[in-house]
Amino acid sequence: MTVTDRRRTLALLGAALVATPVLLGVAYAAASAIGITGIGATGFSLTRLAHVLGERTVWRSVAWSIWVAGAATLLAVAAAACAAIIFGGRSVIDRTARALAIAPLAVPYVVAGALGLLILGQSGYLARLAYAWGWIASPNNMPALVYDTRGIGVILTLAWKEFPFLALVAFSLIAARGVALEETAHTLGAGRWATLSRVTWPLLWRGLLPAATAVFIFSMGNYEAAALLAPSDPLPLPMLTLERYFALDLSQRADAYVLTLAGLLIGLAAVGVHEWTRQHAELFDQ
Amino acid sequence: MDAAACGALRPVNSRAKSRFADVDAVARYFGLTALTISAIGPLVLLVLWSASGEWFFPALMPQRWSPDGWGWLFQSGDRVAVAVRNSVLLGIADGFIGCAIAFPIGRAISRLTGWRRYMAAAAVFSPVAAPPIALGIGIQYFLLRIGVGGTAVGVLLAHLVPTVGYLSLYFLSVFVVFDSKIEDEARTLGATSRQVLFYVTLPMMRRQVTEAVAIGFLISWAQYALTLTVGGGTVHTLPLEVFSYMRAGSGNFAASAALVMIVPPILALAAARYAAGRTVVSPV
Repeated sequence: MTVTDRRRTLALLGAALVATPVLLGVAYAAASAIGITGIGATGFSLTRLAHVLGERTVWRSVAWSIWVAGAATLLAVAAAACAAIIFGGRSVIDRTARALAIAPLAVPYVVAGALGLLILGQSGYLARLAYAWGWIASPNNMPALVYDTRGIGVILTLAWKEFPFLALVAFSLIAARGVALEETAHTLGAGRWATLSRVTWPLLWRGLLPAATAVFIFSMGNYEAAALLAPSDPLPLPMLTLERYFALDLSQRADAYVLTLAGLLIGLAAVGVHEWTRQHAELFDQ
Repeated sequence: MDAAACGALRPVNSRAKSRFADVDAVARYFGLTALTISAIGPLVLLVLWSASGEWFFPALMPQRWSPDGWGWLFQSGDRVAVAVRNSVLLGIADGFIGCAIAFPIGRAISRLTGWRRYMAAAAVFSPVAAPPIALGIGIQYFLLRIGVGGTAVGVLLAHLVPTVGYLSLYFLSVFVVFDSKIEDEARTLGATSRQVLFYVTLPMMRRQVTEAVAIGFLISWAQYALTLTVGGGTVHTLPLEVFSYMRAGSGNFAASAALVMIVPPILALAAARYAAGRTVVSPV
């Protein structure tokens, strides 16, 4: 074995080592989901899998989580793209705006969830401002933003939490690309909006796509913000998973493993959509 | 953009330019205001909440101020104080151990090419992409089997899973652009592999290694779901305390603990930006 071969093997072994806990976890979850191992395992059976996948509660939970993660990601992407387009220059105001945009990057999810509750709650700061401006007469008049079935509070909180990361990527894209393409478009007679929609935006969304996919996956799997702001019906997927996992009825633990696999599959599907979109990017520029 | 599409567009006249300038100014004004509120507003709110004794609807400012929310700072046996200590120790251990594991892995992967690098990068990305709840539930069985379930060591091992993933990707991106000629020169001059690592590579990579330790610390510092599933509620960390205070409706305690949670990440971010700003010439 040459030095290069040995290095290659060690590198692949190292990568496999990093992935091992995930693979072990997935393998154990899969084995538990089909009754091979775990509490109450009675040998190979698809009964538990069929039972969980046949539950309306589970599908509502999956649909709700996809809606919330998708809406939060779209909002954050739109805000990040706008910030990058408006503040992509070199002036002091541009630099200040960029620093302000990425400042909340440091806020952990649990703190974002707590802030969401303090601001968007029925008697939160937004309701107080609405009262001060004469828009509402009591907390009851405030539209329910937290614990509501549409998940507005979770969407706004996750969008705010993920915005700095996407803005950071968008600012880097604008900075790395420079202004040469826009200047060429102007020289060729393109107006402001044409340049924006046909040059800047296509480049921005292509660059933001991997980060947006990651944000969608993170938002889907986020527990803290959901547990503080989401309704109890339908339950977000991570909450439903944990509820089944810690249920007093230990037979429900296998349900949690099925839901764990469902969460991972949705993440994989998001990566698949990302790959497909990347390869067919020109379809979205028409 | 195809040239025909560009050519079909007419040059912008001066009236349109002036209209766009107005739109620009308005967008910049509103944008800057929104960003300022988004960055500073929540922080101000947390400070007010942590110092409030009474703050009922519809008051915009606390009706009574009280230091109670910060009382735990002065009581060494307090739950929050214990949680802060646990979080700090777990974060430091996670940062250093994660960095020590990820450094050689990231470097080794950076030397791969083609499908091998693609596969290896996908493998180290998997713990980053896996939802923490799924990860925690999946690995808890194995941590229980080796006798560390519900202990700080088990929680540390669980935190190391995403940390090593993140940091391997970090070091991969660092080493992809690393110029190893200086190391080759040191070897030509007779330095052993160990000497090259300690006297050439690590001094050159001081900033990157420091950043990696800080990232590792922050990943552990903010971890909630893994601590909950693997720690089983017996290992108290700051995110768990913030969560339970919010659930219990103790806004002032939650706000003070949340402020403590935000400080290290802000310092790390500021330090990273400062370091990046100071780095004029870098070997990587």
